[in-house]
Amino acid sequence: MNKQIRHLGIFLTICYLALFVKLNQVQVFGADELNNHPENARVIQREYNRPRGVITSADGALLAQSVHVEGKSFDRQRTYPEADLFGQVTGYYSFVYGATGVEKTYDDELAGATFQQQLNGIADMFVDKENVGNVQLTLRKDLQVAARDALGPREGSIVALDPRTGEILAFWSYPSYDPNLLSDLDTDATKINWDALNAAPGKPLQAHQYQERYFPGSTFKVVTSGVGLQSGKVTPDDPVYPSAQKYLPPQTTRPIFNFGGETCGGALFEILAVSCNSAFAKMGTETIGPAAMIDGAQAFGFNSRPPIDLPAPAASSFPTDFTDNLPILAQSSIGQNEVQATPLQMALVAAGVANKGVIMKPHVLSQITDSEGRVVKKYEPEQWLQPMSAPAAATLREAMKGVVTKGTGVPAQVPGVEVAGKTGTAQLGDGKKVHTWMVAFAGPPGGDPEVAVSVVVLNQPASNEFTGGQVAGPIAAKMMKATLDARRADSGTPIVVPPTTRAPSVSGAGNGTGAGAGTGAGDGATPPSTPTTRRNDAAVPTTSSITTVPAGPPGTTH
Amino acid sequence: MAAPRRNTELGLLLLVVLITGGAYALAVLGKDSEIPANIGPFLGFVLGLLLVAHIVVRRLAPNADATLLPLAGLLNGLGYVVIARINERLAWQQAAWTAFGIALFCITLLVVKRARDLSNYRWTFALLGIILLLVPLAPGIGREYRSGSRIWVSFGSMSFQPGEFAKIALALFFASYLVEKRELLGMSSRRVGPVNLPDPKHMAPVLLAWATTLIVMFYEKDLGSALLFFALFIAMLWIATQRGTFLAVGVTLFAIGAYFAYKAFAHVQTRVAIWIDPWKDAKGDGYQIVEAAFAMASGGIGGTGLGLSGKIGIPEAESDFIFAIIAEELGLLGSLLVLVAFLLIVGAGLRIAVRSTHAFDKLLAAGLTTLLGIQAFIIIGGVTRLLPLTGVTLPFVSYGGSSLVANYVLLALLLRISDDSAVSSASSAARSGPRSKVPQPAGSSS
Repeated sequence: MNKQIRHLGIFLTICYLALFVKLNQVQVFGADELNNHPENARVIQREYNRPRGVITSADGALLAQSVHVEGKSFDRQRTYPEADLFGQVTGYYSFVYGATGVEKTYDDELAGATFQQQLNGIADMFVDKENVGNVQLTLRKDLQVAARDALGPREGSIVALDPRTGEILAFWSYPSYDPNLLSDLDTDATKINWDALNAAPGKPLQAHQYQERYFPGSTFKVVTSGVGLQSGKVTPDDPVYPSAQKYLPPQTTRPIFNFGGETCGGALFEILAVSCNSAFAKMGTETIGPAAMIDGAQAFGFNSRPPIDLPAPAASSFPTDFTDNLPILAQSSIGQNEVQATPLQMALVAAGVANKGVIMKPHVLSQITDSEGRVVKKYEPEQWLQPMSAPAAATLREAMKGVVTKGTGVPAQVPGVEVAGKTGTAQLGDGKKVHTWMVAFAGPPGGDPEVAVSVVVLNQPASNEFTGGQVAGPIAAKMMKATLDARRADSGTPIVVPPTTRAPSVSGAGNGTGAGAGTGAGDGATPPSTPTTRRNDAAVPTTSSITTVPAGPPGTTH
Repeated sequence: MAAPRRNTELGLLLLVVLITGGAYALAVLGKDSEIPANIGPFLGFVLGLLLVAHIVVRRLAPNADATLLPLAGLLNGLGYVVIARINERLAWQQAAWTAFGIALFCITLLVVKRARDLSNYRWTFALLGIILLLVPLAPGIGREYRSGSRIWVSFGSMSFQPGEFAKIALALFFASYLVEKRELLGMSSRRVGPVNLPDPKHMAPVLLAWATTLIVMFYEKDLGSALLFFALFIAMLWIATQRGTFLAVGVTLFAIGAYFAYKAFAHVQTRVAIWIDPWKDAKGDGYQIVEAAFAMASGGIGGTGLGLSGKIGIPEAESDFIFAIIAEELGLLGSLLVLVAFLLIVGAGLRIAVRSTHAFDKLLAAGLTTLLGIQAFIIIGGVTRLLPLTGVTLPFVSYGGSSLVANYVLLALLLRISDDSAVSSASSAARSGPRSKVPQPAGSSS
């Protein structure tokens, strides 16, 4: 009988060997397929039941947290106390629709799943502590509120960042959405909300500030100027563009007109201050040329996705081939036709000029802490691009100051603060509507700029009252003032208001550049009938560092 | 000679207590994020039970194999920890049944002084076995199970499965009968086709008993037990007669039977359908298998961690599908641990069978080991989709008082046989005296 018993043993061993192989197949080799099976809710379930860290703003506001719930299909529900104020930044965290925004980019950190956190977690295994990461953002609630209030119920975006570090301070688009609507545990309710949000006008689920692109209009002249200065082909004194009403590019019979049919020309500072289309179109097409323009625009970040730590940033675009297409180049040089930019990109352009020619990587993360407040990870500022050398950037900065002190950007002035910027009024399609832009940066007089902003208000009527300077300028001013005030409040130093000197007065009539014709739209300026803008305010100082701006004789267009 | 084995056993048991205690702590930690408050009493309880069993073995079967009890304890403890995580009320019951099982283990060791004494009661066991199988069919006290199988008996709030004990009774009957008749069965007196078959009159009783049990099991829709039983009978017949023919005939009969069962019974067809592709009816019939597969896959190699497998449960997680939960929470490492434990039990059991000196002991040990080994194989195979799913429990691990208690009785019998064979080989070594060059007369051998 022993022989049979031994054979039985071998048979049973083979049976168990088969089980061993099958187990390996199910748990190891075939596991991925099973885990990703559409009917498999386990993996997602476990993820959604894990403890998750909070998201806070730089000034301590609670933006997202997981609260315990009873009697529902999960233990925790993600709630967003600030509702739609930070909706597009935090994103949502939904069982059905996944995650976006910070919830997605920093998903591992929030769940405590990064290697570093797991490692740290081992030491705390027997302590009653949740191993999660708390994400602190660079954005400030007070500035986000300022942005929301400044823009009001108008479609548009506001980006405010610190050019020295790339920290994003305010990041707002209207309309926004409330992530609570999608993070509810009731899947029927979230489905209704999802459908409603997707159908809502203005596409609130999209974070327009960095995911949507628009014609930048004349704000792109900053890039054109920057490319020109960097290449050496443009200097403050040379070339001097002829006074003209329009510019006819090669290879076409359709000229590009100046805004409102006005005549303008001159050297760099003049043409930037009044936003002269004819001069810049000529600069891009003839002075700089296609190859250098393409390289230059790309050096400013066009055709690349900004390395922001949020999901799916859009790349702003600049055409890459102008063979036999110089008219397109002419229009692209003034930010129309085929140039598309996100509000973030234009803010980065301004930041680059402000930061001595270096564009820092934009980021929303400040640091990640564990549940005891110890810092686990900090975002160290890093350079992204360097489109200009420091001297070239300094020159451009002076030119942009001129835009605000005596040009189209006067509504963006802030008392006691050195502001530089550029306005833009991008004409859409049939000419009935425009996007109004303002990009600017500001800092203490004589010091380094501390904030760069980009504001776009969409779909404004095309008329003299609704230009970039008039619509977006005041918003930019509010943002810059709010940022600098907040900074001062934090550090306790008062704003320094240097003694006032009168700015050279500008006559009302000579200031106008009328409505543009053709596909190009110049930059609007305030109409003569409203002398309420700050440039008539005697308290507005000019800083003594503007020495290169030629003081225009009365009647010169600005 | 007793001391080393029992000491080994004691050491292994202490290890088992530590592992179980650790697993329990981790499970509660995983589920409630805190060390369980009752870890002290719990460890005390486990240690107490196993120590009692150990002391009884030390006194009543001191030469028995040292690994069986610790292995059973490990499986029992692991199963208990998982059940506690799933459902606290059931855990209490399982703990009570464990205590009862250990008690019966001790009583069995006490009552059965020599295993082969049991062979005198063969017809009693046969009758007992069949009655136990038939009881669930009785109106009133029988209870139909959810899947349509009728194998339960309940008195008030208590319920148990007599079938689990029937298997042991019938194994005893088979062992006894086959040992006596094996010579006769081994001889061929007829030829049927290419096969030599023994005289039917010798085969008749055992065939009758076997056929009856199979019919009853089919009627009760307890296909897993039917399969198990069939395997038991064929294995014991083959071992007893040492004729491969029986093996071949048996397998053929099984194939034929399985085919007819498939054709005749709708629920067999369902089982086979969800074995081949459970995703066709993933929300309905296939739900258990599908969720088990997902659970095991999400466990991966290291497992999700005790207590951390999330809220999606598997129906019958505490009984038939407990293996899937272990595989999920402890990963491949955990599931292999269980597999290896059963393999070691099979190995120890068969080793006991080989070392036994009496034919009855050999056959019984082999049969009991086959019961344990094949049952574990059937259910693990069903859960992992190696085989179609059948409703048998995972011995020692699954929730289920009858199965647990019956298996402890089975264990006691194995240890009794082991002790017997160790004693008799020791005494035969003593009798044959010191070796000398002169060959001793034949009477010195056992």
